[in-house]
Amino acid sequence: MKDLIRIKTLISSEIETLLNRQVKMEAMSSSVYLSMASWCNRNGYDFSSDYFFKQAEEERQHQLKFYKYILDMGGNAVSPEVTDIKQEYNSFREVFEEALDQEIAVTQSINNIYGRCLKSQDFLTMEFLNWFLKEQREEEYKARRALELFEVIGEEGTGRWQIDKHVGEIKYPQA
Amino acid sequence: MQEVITREPQTMTEVFKTKVGGIYQFDAERCWFVDFAGKMAKFDYRNLLKLRKAVYNVDIEGILLDSSKSPDVEIIFLCACDHCYVLTLMQIIALKEILQGAFVMLELNNIIHDKLYRVPA
Repeated sequence: MKDLIRIKTLISSEIETLLNRQVKMEAMSSSVYLSMASWCNRNGYDFSSDYFFKQAEEERQHQLKFYKYILDMGGNAVSPEVTDIKQEYNSFREVFEEALDQEIAVTQSINNIYGRCLKSQDFLTMEFLNWFLKEQREEEYKARRALELFEVIGEEGTGRWQIDKHVGEIKYPQA
Repeated sequence: MQEVITREPQTMTEVFKTKVGGIYQFDAERCWFVDFAGKMAKFDYRNLLKLRKAVYNVDIEGILLDSSKSPDVEIIFLCACDHCYVLTLMQIIALKEILQGAFVMLELNNIIHDKLYRVPA
């Protein structure tokens, strides 16, 4: 009996499901960042708004990367439904706290997929995920650094204005 | 329109079979035949996956616990596929068992191919 399924697809259906879930997660992230950009803009934090617009675009690129990988491997990439996006935040700081939370969740999710790949000896997908692991290092650094600004500058007086100004300048020093 | 196919059984390899039906692989046409509910239906790779998804997505528990008078009949309709099944709950459970068994066997076949033929240890 021929191995018909292997002829059609390289990744197992389990990994395919996990990758599709990741596609959805990246799409959600992108939408959440867009909503954060809107909130910041409405409340006068224009630099932060620009920062979140950039983040939204990056997450969208991540989503497409996963999406195309699934297709290239002969899998079925599912266009995700994105609903229940939070539109209002209580404070400027809360926006950045949630941004960091979101990045932590993404890192965790990629780690989980990596673990599954290791278990099923799917080295191709592991190699593909390496890029994302490196990317998460940068994403988490940036989100954490933004929150740090709240500590070092402080929110009193013109603090929030200062923080906003510096958020746009956050860069990850690439090793 | 449904194409009901009859074929010589020896040209097909049995993948998984129960008392009520089975799935057979036909290497020459790279497809599978699902023998269930009184018909032999041809499925290619994509459609077989769609069938699996459709059957797995039926909420069996939900139907069992549903006390309304609606009939427990499910229509399994696959997009871009010639076949359609109208099944009772018992048939859904039976078909699910067949599909689960078949996919385990196909995975086993994949492992055997990997270990024995592609890169023998």
